[in-house]
Amino acid sequence: MLNWVEFVTLLIIVVAAYFSIRVSNLLFAVVALAALSLLLSLEFYLLKAPDVAIAEAGIGAGLTTAIYVLAIYQIEKRDKKK
Amino acid sequence: MKTAYAVIFMSILVVFLFTAITTLHPMGYPGHTEMDDYFIKNAQIEVGANNVVTSIVFDYRGFDTLGEATVLFTAVISVVALLRGVKKDEE
Amino acid sequence: MKSDMSTIVKTVTDFLFGFIIIFGIYIIIHGHLTPGGGFQGGAVVASGFALLFVAFARTFLDKKPQQLYGLFESVGLLIFISLAFLGIYRTFFYNFLANSGGLFGMKITQGINPGYFNTAGVVPLMNMAVGFEVACGLSLIVYLLYRGVIEEGEDGE
Repeated sequence: MLNWVEFVTLLIIVVAAYFSIRVSNLLFAVVALAALSLLLSLEFYLLKAPDVAIAEAGIGAGLTTAIYVLAIYQIEKRDKKK
Repeated sequence: MKTAYAVIFMSILVVFLFTAITTLHPMGYPGHTEMDDYFIKNAQIEVGANNVVTSIVFDYRGFDTLGEATVLFTAVISVVALLRGVKKDEE
Repeated sequence: MKSDMSTIVKTVTDFLFGFIIIFGIYIIIHGHLTPGGGFQGGAVVASGFALLFVAFARTFLDKKPQQLYGLFESVGLLIFISLAFLGIYRTFFYNFLANSGGLFGMKITQGINPGYFNTAGVVPLMNMAVGFEVACGLSLIVYLLYRGVIEEGEDGE
């Protein structure tokens, strides 16, 4: 019933979600979250919702990652100062 | 005693959720509603847009989009208020 | 973080920035024909601006674009609300341009058609207004965060 492309995509989404929670390095967690968003947009595309896929790829994989990385950089800078 | 309450509550919740799963629609086969049929039949003629999703988002459900735009505007305003440039001398 | 990024990042940004912006504008103005719309295209344009900020930090921080972004964001939302108000003689959000024969008022046939651009009434105009607002608002968020990072770094060193 499930297409194997969808199966592999969903499997990697679950693995990326596990890594993004369990990993102690924040930057690695953010990259895992970006991979999750990108694969989620692929999954939206496979489910025939291309407009949601574009929104997810632009906001989830692009802008959210940039904002998280900037926040992590600022926090590390502040920790080093103390 | 607390764990007993938690176990009872969790088991009731699990029973409810599993009964809910058994009555779900199968994925990809939504139930028939009159509104969907109306949109699919008339949106292309009434609005003139080929993209029915956009004609719903910006025409039939315009208030929803207005709320979304307002939420985004408020979020940007709050970010600007948090991160506005504050000069060191004034602190 | 004192200066711009390396030459590789700058060259790739030089090459890619135009394509990203053109793709975002295409998604915005063809929102009534192809998948996408104001929000999606605005997000794509904003991600292009985020790339530009990261690559050419110095140049853009000296230009101080936040007033311009704030102005354009407010103008986009105001155009959206006033377009909704212009149809107030019937209802709020009434599509007064659709099937009128004038601007964006071409009539189309039911079913498969080539996808004429001059259709759908106020929907393309609202797409452009919302796309403007979303692109400028998200770019403003990224710009302010990045400015905070750079100024923090300069204070510490």
